[in-house]
Amino acid sequence: MASQTRVDFGGILRPPGQLDATTALQPYRGPLDERSAAHLLRRAGFGGTPDEVRRYAAMSVDAAVESLVRFPSTANLPQPDVYDRRAHLGELRVPVDERRDALKEILRNERESLRGMRLWWLNRMLTTPAPLQEKMTLFWHGHFTSYVNYAVYTYFQNQLFRYYALGNVRTLTHAVSRDPAMLIYLNNDKNVAEHPNENYARELMELFTLGIGHYTEQDVREAARAWTGWRLNKATGVVRFAPRQHDDGSKTFLGQTGNFMGDDVVDIIFAQPQCARFLATSLLNYFVYNDPEPELVDAVADVMRRNNYEIAPVMSAIFRSNVFYSPRAYRALVKSPVEFVVGTYKALGITELPDDAVGFANRMGQILFQPPNVAGWPGGQNWLTSGTMIVRQNFVASVANSQTLASSSWLGQVPMQPDKATHAIVGTLLQGDAAPASRVEVQALLSGAGTSALMMLSGENFQQRVGAATALAMGMPAYQLN
Amino acid sequence: MKRGNFVLGTISGLAVSANTNHVFARALAAAPLPGLPGGQNRCLVLVNLQGGNDGLNCVVPHGDGRYYQLRPTLAISQSEVLAINAQIGLNPKLRAFKALYDKGLVAIVQGVGYPNPSYSHFRSTEIWQTASPDHYEHTGWLGRYFDDAGLPENDLFKGVAIAQTLPEVLASNRTDIPAIPGPDQYGLALDRSPSLRAAFGRDAHDTRLPFSSPYLARVMEIEDHAQRGSEELPKLIGGYQTKATYPSTPLGRSLALAAQIVGSNLGTKVIYVEHASFDTHVNQRPVQDRMLEQFSNAIAAFYDDLAAHGNDRRVLTLTFSEFGRRIEENASHGTDHGQASPLFLIGGGVKGGIYGNAPDLGNLDEGNLRFTTDFRSVYATVLERWLGRPSAPVLAGSFASLPILA
Repeated sequence: MASQTRVDFGGILRPPGQLDATTALQPYRGPLDERSAAHLLRRAGFGGTPDEVRRYAAMSVDAAVESLVRFPSTANLPQPDVYDRRAHLGELRVPVDERRDALKEILRNERESLRGMRLWWLNRMLTTPAPLQEKMTLFWHGHFTSYVNYAVYTYFQNQLFRYYALGNVRTLTHAVSRDPAMLIYLNNDKNVAEHPNENYARELMELFTLGIGHYTEQDVREAARAWTGWRLNKATGVVRFAPRQHDDGSKTFLGQTGNFMGDDVVDIIFAQPQCARFLATSLLNYFVYNDPEPELVDAVADVMRRNNYEIAPVMSAIFRSNVFYSPRAYRALVKSPVEFVVGTYKALGITELPDDAVGFANRMGQILFQPPNVAGWPGGQNWLTSGTMIVRQNFVASVANSQTLASSSWLGQVPMQPDKATHAIVGTLLQGDAAPASRVEVQALLSGAGTSALMMLSGENFQQRVGAATALAMGMPAYQLN
Repeated sequence: MKRGNFVLGTISGLAVSANTNHVFARALAAAPLPGLPGGQNRCLVLVNLQGGNDGLNCVVPHGDGRYYQLRPTLAISQSEVLAINAQIGLNPKLRAFKALYDKGLVAIVQGVGYPNPSYSHFRSTEIWQTASPDHYEHTGWLGRYFDDAGLPENDLFKGVAIAQTLPEVLASNRTDIPAIPGPDQYGLALDRSPSLRAAFGRDAHDTRLPFSSPYLARVMEIEDHAQRGSEELPKLIGGYQTKATYPSTPLGRSLALAAQIVGSNLGTKVIYVEHASFDTHVNQRPVQDRMLEQFSNAIAAFYDDLAAHGNDRRVLTLTFSEFGRRIEENASHGTDHGQASPLFLIGGGVKGGIYGNAPDLGNLDEGNLRFTTDFRSVYATVLERWLGRPSAPVLAGSFASLPILA
C-alpha cells in the first residue's frame, strides 16, 4: 500500500444546536415515555414491537438500560447452515478440463451459504432476546471490516464479534488480529520477515484504533515488522505463529523501543489516549449522532479508559445519558438498510423474515458480510439516493400488502374507527412524528377517500386500508430516520 | 415490482397528475469552463469489465515471440488474431468491434494501471472506481465530477447506473444518482397523492412537526426525487424507438437502455453498465472468448442504434477492468490476477488508433506487466476533453491528458 492514507467521511451531519458538555454524560433524570423508549430500542437494538415499547416506557431509565446491557444467554439460538469449503477441497482434484466447473460449484456454494447467513443474521436480529448484542455485533462488523469468499471464516468472525459484543475491545483487537477472515482480507497472513506486508498494520491504526495523523509511516513499518510471522492454513483454518518468519529484531513504535511482537503493538496502541478517543467517536457516530463534538468524545473516552476498555460500562453510560435523550440526538441518524428492514418486521410484530428481505436490504445498499471497503459503511446521507429510496418504499409496500401482515399482531391493535386508527398508526409506527397534514392523509385513506363509493372502514376493507395506511406511514420522512 | 399492479393503487384516490411543469426532461448541459471544450449534450458510458480482463489475450502482442513462450496453451495464434499491425491485434471474437476500430471509432490505450497494484478484486475495483490508490475514499471519481460540476438538482437523470445497486464510481457527497436495474424496475409500487407530497414538502418547515433532524431536508428531497423520477422515467423514455438488434445478453440489454436514455435527452452525462465475469483462473480461452464476443456484439449494436438516431458522436464509451492477468498461464489453463491491461475508448469523438506504450514482456514485476499509462491520465482526458471539467479537483492531483479525443 502507498504512503499517504486518510479516510474521508463526507456526507454525515452534526445536529444543529449547542452541546452542554458538563451535563451531557450525566444520567438522564426525566421519565422514559413511549417516544424515548422507542428511541432507545431503535438505537440499542432494531426497534420494538408496540408491546415492547409500552413495557420499556413503564420502566426507569436505569432498569431499561440494565435489561439491554445485561442480556440473557443466547447460546441456544439457532445457528446457520455454513458451507465449509475445507471439507470440499477434494472436489478440485479432478482433470483440468473439469476443474473450472468444480471451482465454480464451490464458489456457487460459498455465495449461496453467505446468502443464507444473511437471512439467518437478519432473523436473529429480529428475534433475539439480546438486541444490543446483535447491534454491537453489527457495529464491530462495520468497524473491523472483512469481506472474504469463505462462508466458514466469515461465520467465525461474526461469532467473534458476538462473543466480544460488549466485552473488552483491547482483547477483541488481539483476537481479530489473528482471525482467519481478517488475516485473508488485510494480508497479514502474507506478512513475513523477508517481505513485510504493511496492510494490516496500517489499517489497525488508521481505521481500527487511532485514526490518521496519530502515527507515522515509520510506525506503520515497525508495526508490520512486529506482526510478521502469523500464518493461516486456509485448507484447515489453523492459524499459527511461525517464529522463522518473524522479524525478532528491535523495533521503535510510537516512541517505545523493544523486540516487539504484534500483541505488544496492540497494547502500546491502547495505552494511547487517542485510541479511546477514536473508539468513542465511532460509538457516538453509530449510537448517538454524527460528527460528535470533541468535548463529548473526550467524556466518553474518559469512561472507556477508566473502565480499561470494557465496552459494557461505556454503552451503559451512553444509553443513560442526557445527551442520548436530548432533542439533538432524537431522529438524528439515517436508518441503515438493516435497521430499516428488521425494524419494520419488528414494529409489525412479525417474527420471521421472508427470503426476499435479504434482497431488499442489499438493494437499499447494505450487503451484510460485504462492506464496501475496509472503512465500513459510511452512513448518513450515503444511504439516501432516489434509487435506494424507491427500494425502501417498495419494501414497506410489499410488507404491508403481504399475506404476512394478515398473520401479524399488528392488525389486531388498530381500532376500526378511522380517527382512532390514525392515532394508533402514527403513534406506534412514527411515535407521533408526522405533520398534521400527513395525519390528515392517513385518515383520509382509512376513511375510504377516493374509492368509488365512500365505504366506511369495515371488516371487509380493513386489512387493505390499514395495510395501505401502514405503508404510507412507513414511507414518511420520520420513518427513514433513526 | 411493476407499477399499476399494486392493490393500493393511488392512495387517497386523488388522481396522480403528472406535473408537466418539470424542467428536468430538458437536455441540460453543464456550462463549459472557459478554455475547455464543451460538454454540451455529451454522455460518457462506462463499461465495467468485472473480474479482471486478461489484456494479453484481448489486445494480442502477436509480434512478440515471448508471448508465445509464456502462454504455451493459451496464446492466440498469429493465424487467428485480428491483426491491427505487425505487433498487435485483437482477439478473434472481437470481430464486430474490429470493424468499429477500422472505421476509426476506437482508441486502444495500452498498459494502463497504477503504482503499487492490489491483486484483490475488491480493493482494485475500488481503486479504479474511486481513482484513489493511496487512501480509502467513499466517493467515486464520477461522483466527485457531479459534486464538482454542480448540475441542476432538478435533473434527476444526470447520471444513471444500470445496475442493481449504485457502484462506488458514482457515489458522491451531494448528488443523487439513481441505480436503475432495468426500464421496468425503477418505479414506486404505490403512488402518493399530490396533497401528501405537498405535505412532505412542508414538513421540513412545519413547526408543528414534533422533531427536527439534520437529515430531514435531505430525506424529503430524495423522497421527492424518487416519486417524480419513477413517475416520469417511463414517459420520458417511452417514445424512443430502438433501431438495432441487440444480443439478448445482460450487456446487450443494458446498452439498449443506455441508448434509449441518451436518445431521450434527459440531460444524462454519465451512464454506468457492467459486464461480468472475466475472472478466468481456470480454462480461460472459452470463457474469455465468450465474454469478449458478447462485449463486441453489444457495443456494435449500441453504436448502430446511436448512429441511426444521430447520437453516435454524443456518446463516448470507456471500458475498465480492475486488473489484467498474470502473463504466465497457470496449471489449470487459466491465468491469475495481474497488473496492467489495455482499455478502450469508443465513439464518434475519438481519434482512433493505438495510444500508450505496450508493456515490455521482458521487464516484469513479480511476473506481471508493468503499467505504462496511469489510469488517472485516461480519467483526466475524459473529464477535460469530454465532460469539459477540470480534472485536478476530481482526481486530487494533476495528470496529463492524452490526445485521444478530437
